[in-house]
Amino acid sequence: MFQPIGSPKAPVTVHFDGVPITACPGETVASCLLRNGITRFRTTPVSGAARMPFCMIGHCFECLVEIKGLGSQQACLTVVVEGMNIATQAGAARVAGVGHD
Amino acid sequence: MTETGTSSSPTGAGAVAMDADVIVIGAGPAGMSAATELGAAGFRVIALDMNPSPGGQIYRAVELNLGDQRADPVLARALGRAYAAGWPLVARFRNQEGIDYRPDTTVWELRTDGTVGWQRAARGGYLRARHIVLANGAMERPMPFPGWTLPGVMTAGAVQTLIKSSRLKPTGRVVLAGTGPLLFLLADQLLKLGVKPALIARTDRFGDKMKALARLRPAALPAIAKGAGWMLNLRKAGIRTVTGVARLEAVGDDRVREVVVETGDETTRLPCDTLIVHDGIIPSIDLAQGAGLAVEWRAGDASWCPVTEQSGLASPSRGANLSAGASRIWITGDARQIGGADAAAAHGRLVGQTLAARLEAAETEALTAGPARIYARAMAPRAFIDAAFPQGQTSGDLADSTIVCRCEEITAGTIRSKARQGATDPDQLRGLLRCGMGPCQGRSCASTIGRLLSEEFDLKRPPRPFRGRPPVRPVPLCILATLESLDPELVSSEALNDKPDASGGIDSDV
Ligand code: FES
Repeated sequence: MFQPIGSPKAPVTVHFDGVPITACPGETVASCLLRNGITRFRTTPVSGAARMPFCMIGHCFECLVEIKGLGSQQACLTVVVEGMNIATQAGAARVAGVGHD
Repeated sequence: MTETGTSSSPTGAGAVAMDADVIVIGAGPAGMSAATELGAAGFRVIALDMNPSPGGQIYRAVELNLGDQRADPVLARALGRAYAAGWPLVARFRNQEGIDYRPDTTVWELRTDGTVGWQRAARGGYLRARHIVLANGAMERPMPFPGWTLPGVMTAGAVQTLIKSSRLKPTGRVVLAGTGPLLFLLADQLLKLGVKPALIARTDRFGDKMKALARLRPAALPAIAKGAGWMLNLRKAGIRTVTGVARLEAVGDDRVREVVVETGDETTRLPCDTLIVHDGIIPSIDLAQGAGLAVEWRAGDASWCPVTEQSGLASPSRGANLSAGASRIWITGDARQIGGADAAAAHGRLVGQTLAARLEAAETEALTAGPARIYARAMAPRAFIDAAFPQGQTSGDLADSTIVCRCEEITAGTIRSKARQGATDPDQLRGLLRCGMGPCQGRSCASTIGRLLSEEFDLKRPPRPFRGRPPVRPVPLCILATLESLDPELVSSEALNDKPDASGGIDSDV
């Protein structure tokens, strides 16, 4: 759905839902996932509908994902780090240590 | 450096030490210009920026794209001269002594006494300055239509961000819909990047341009020539365009698959992978109204803007008693009044110079005449642009089944039925329906609800935005628990009053 302009830089590796994917150093988690063709960043707590980044500048909160186990992180404002663990956020954010099923 | 410039003694704000003379929030053209002026006058400035590098949205990543050897010539050409104009602005800001630039920093609280709550990665705290320059820019007007929550529907600004920051361009069948200069600028940029949109569905009409001519001023001609250039390029490239779109729908399952466009007499269905929408931009008022500053509903533009003087000085709303004395907040750029980059830079300079003179207790007028003139010139095309590209999807009939609040998936019909039962205040609706209570804190629905209430219900006074309370952005508890500096207000006083009514300053007749 998106393709690079010019030649990409040497990639780093991150994990999305446990699967390794490549990212460009310095890019945001949102751009990394879009580059990899991912359109389902989260599902809504109300109807479970899939959502993907809408504004890319931190206003809409549609890009929420789990990063390193912490829920409701804005993918469009967070920069990738080598080895980062990213996961789809299903419904409401999970709170560490609090039961959720 | 002047004596006043280095003074860290608070002026009438208790015994709390100041971290800087001025904190500037936002590093777009307005924030950078204000900070540069203040730094040049010898004052200590902390500039807080949500982005990783200065430039704001318009000049986003300008250093990365134009400044180093990795710059891609095709990209540089597509972004054009207007984008390159940001480069000297950023360079001056970077090189100016006295500015402590802090990127990747989110502001989650602003108070009229000059206190700012901030977060950067896993750290957070409070800062305090004698004055605050609020230059947090604008947002794209939320534009509800059936299917606008489907993955694959994005704003024009989002696609521009992907181009500038991530060097990504959309592929497949791309459709642009809506109105406003940004939509046509983006279409022109996409063409230069080799992406040929399948359709541009415009909500504006030729008649709008004719009506707008009455508002044409000679100073507006360069801006209009630029717009005409984009249109000509699109026509030459053979991009299919329809105008006067009355209804737009995105159809799909787990993502957009098809777009439906209706004009008065014709319905077009088109397969679509990415639907790019835009309906103009509106000031970001989250921090201003979270601080209890007065904001004003502008019916013609279906948005709120902060109440300020020409100098940018903001008015506290009626009954604001959070701080002793006059307002210490100055609002500039698109956060104050939509005017575009040149107007924002000029107004930022004006604010910086006015504030520098205020801090030195000097005369301001002669000083700021230059930027004031440039600002007036840069604002000259606005009346024409507003009339030529009237807001489209947001002012037509909003179907009952259309989602207005994206976070909680609340439709126009649900909001109408509660409003019919008497809940014609956004805060009542929020309490009853949870609209405005999701993660976006009402950013995506407030202006739509304001318009719906003001157009369809007999309100006694203009609609108010949701009452804002800090934190205006979610802050992880682990950060709140480990703030690096304590709340200065709690340190210096025992009373913690509630925030005043955000709209209080303007409806004093009620
Ligand atoms: S995409 Fe809108 S907040 Fe991230």
